Amino acid sequence: MVVVRRRWFQAPWEFRESSLFTAVALCLGFVIEYATSGSGIALPRLPVNAIALSVFAVLILSIGLGFRNTPAVKWFGGIPLGLCLIVGIAVLSLLGGILPQEAVPSGSLPARLGIHKIFSGWPFALVVLLFLANLGLSLSGKLIPFKVQNIQFILFHAGFWIALSCGIFGSSDLQRLVVPIEEGKAGNLGYTMESDTPQPLPFSVFLHDFSLEEYPPQLLLYDPHSDKLLMDKSKATLEVRKGTTASWNGIEVLVLDYMPSALPGEGGIPQPADRSTGIPFAKVKITTGATQREAWISTGSPSLRPDAAQLGNLYLIMVPGTPKSFRSAVTVQDTEGNAVMANLEVNKPVNFKDWKLYQMGYDEKAGRWSKLSLIEVIRDPWLPAVYLGFFMIMAGNILFFWTGIKRKEVAA
Amino acid sequence: MIVDFNTAAIVAIACWATGMLLGLLAIRTPALKLPGMVLSLAGSVVMAAFIAFYWALLDRPPLRTLGETRLWYAALIPLVGFLVEYRWKIGWLKYYCMALAGFFLGINMLHPEVFDKTLMPALQSPWFIPHVVVYLVGYVLLAASSVTALHNVYLQLRSKGNVSGESVSHYLALLGFVLLSFGLIFGALWAKEAWGHYWTWDPKETWAFLSWLAYLGYLHAYRYKIDQSKLQWYLALAFVVLLVCWFGVNYLPSAQNSVHTYTQS
Repeated sequence: MVVVRRRWFQAPWEFRESSLFTAVALCLGFVIEYATSGSGIALPRLPVNAIALSVFAVLILSIGLGFRNTPAVKWFGGIPLGLCLIVGIAVLSLLGGILPQEAVPSGSLPARLGIHKIFSGWPFALVVLLFLANLGLSLSGKLIPFKVQNIQFILFHAGFWIALSCGIFGSSDLQRLVVPIEEGKAGNLGYTMESDTPQPLPFSVFLHDFSLEEYPPQLLLYDPHSDKLLMDKSKATLEVRKGTTASWNGIEVLVLDYMPSALPGEGGIPQPADRSTGIPFAKVKITTGATQREAWISTGSPSLRPDAAQLGNLYLIMVPGTPKSFRSAVTVQDTEGNAVMANLEVNKPVNFKDWKLYQMGYDEKAGRWSKLSLIEVIRDPWLPAVYLGFFMIMAGNILFFWTGIKRKEVAA
Repeated sequence: MIVDFNTAAIVAIACWATGMLLGLLAIRTPALKLPGMVLSLAGSVVMAAFIAFYWALLDRPPLRTLGETRLWYAALIPLVGFLVEYRWKIGWLKYYCMALAGFFLGINMLHPEVFDKTLMPALQSPWFIPHVVVYLVGYVLLAASSVTALHNVYLQLRSKGNVSGESVSHYLALLGFVLLSFGLIFGALWAKEAWGHYWTWDPKETWAFLSWLAYLGYLHAYRYKIDQSKLQWYLALAFVVLLVCWFGVNYLPSAQNSVHTYTQS
């Protein structure tokens, strides 16, 4: 093979020019970020962002269609520049993936360069915009004239274009608010992560009931001297139920009886009680060497002291299980009289007009006795467009997979 | 514990080891080929059976901790090796794959699992299994692609041409990329339902995006007809990004607030 040394900017432009271009774009981004004291980009909201994106799309398409044979346009929509911009995005993502993306002291160099919020800063915006232009130009060539064999290319690339552009241009319209509500009360004020000033919502949420279900409690050995919890020999998390056994060095424990919900009774023997007030109790047989004894232990609650069994310097304790599920029974209502009753649960959001309501959290100190529920309400008018992009990418990928296999068979 | 992990792991490793040995001896004594294949397969069957028992024991898919995901890799990676041999008549890949699987099981034996049945509410989603399984299979294919590329690099250094090996690493990377894309999008769709937004630049998301970009870059370089033999280096190294994404993220400064940090295993 003859190696031809290309000079800088010798036509047709390739990787060298593309990497220089990308590097300049990245540097320019950081310079602007620094000059604006790391304030990042404030994107306009609907309808301005939608208009801007449409104009951008039309512009790119017309340039792609009108000047597709111009060397500059060919280069701008080509693979070398695309690859370099992918590397540019990857470099910024690498920064964002390694450095914590959280607030740093303002005025410091990292803050001015915006590397703690890389994905809303100028360098990322510039590179993504150039990448969208590159992707758009390459798409225009495959869109018109339309050919069936290009459908995989079009689905994947147009899908990526739509998902990326709408996700980024639409990020200014995303509203995420947390509504804290107590049982028996209604709330129509939402808080953002950034500010303490509540924002009024176009609807109110009434909390009928908050309930939380836990996994069975666990047996652990507590060493007050070192303030450590010791797991048993099997290193397994032991769920307490009748017949559960556990062993630590020289200590054998057998659960003789288990009551998931009970209250202390006469003579130290617990009595079954309603789930709303009761706590888990277990009767355990503890064998240490030749001695044996039995004891009742419990998890305790905000109003009841936990019962532990003392074993020399150690305590056998029962800790409440982790949350299995929690839900809020709510009524959502707007001023026009539309009302919806719903159960909000993690992974089961509920729609109300163009908002989505999520079960977010509760008073974790109170655990299953929490009277407070945190509901997150989210509005994202650009979601359908982003999802359209996602489904196009997936459709394109299925075709890619299929043709990939087919080509493989031809090759074999 | 009804199902003992150590026993299952030792049996599987023994199957793979004898399978490999018989496979190598079969070069001289062809009669040993079949028993070698059966034993190699048996190793994966043992692991698959263990996963099934373990799943039943836990009452949830064993996909939550890093150690649990290694079980799946151990069962699936050798299968890729066998499939490649069956499809392209390339025999050496399965040895790498079985060694890798044995290595994963070895890690798990040195670090006994915390057996924990609980599954936090956010993971109780119909998206949980497709998201993780698609990623698992994708990673398995890309691990195999990386191993193949590494072998190709080794052959290149010894100045041996190896066109069929290059096409194997390419197709494995292609299939792996398709699955990465699905995993990424399934994750986004799930995140919308569970955490309210499809993309939040959580460190794990960022790294998943980075690994996706790495293979996107590869496919475009391939499309641009960059010398395939040079790209073998790229493919061999691209897996490092996946490794960071898979378990390295836990150790990065950015991971403190991630929703994705696996329960320590």
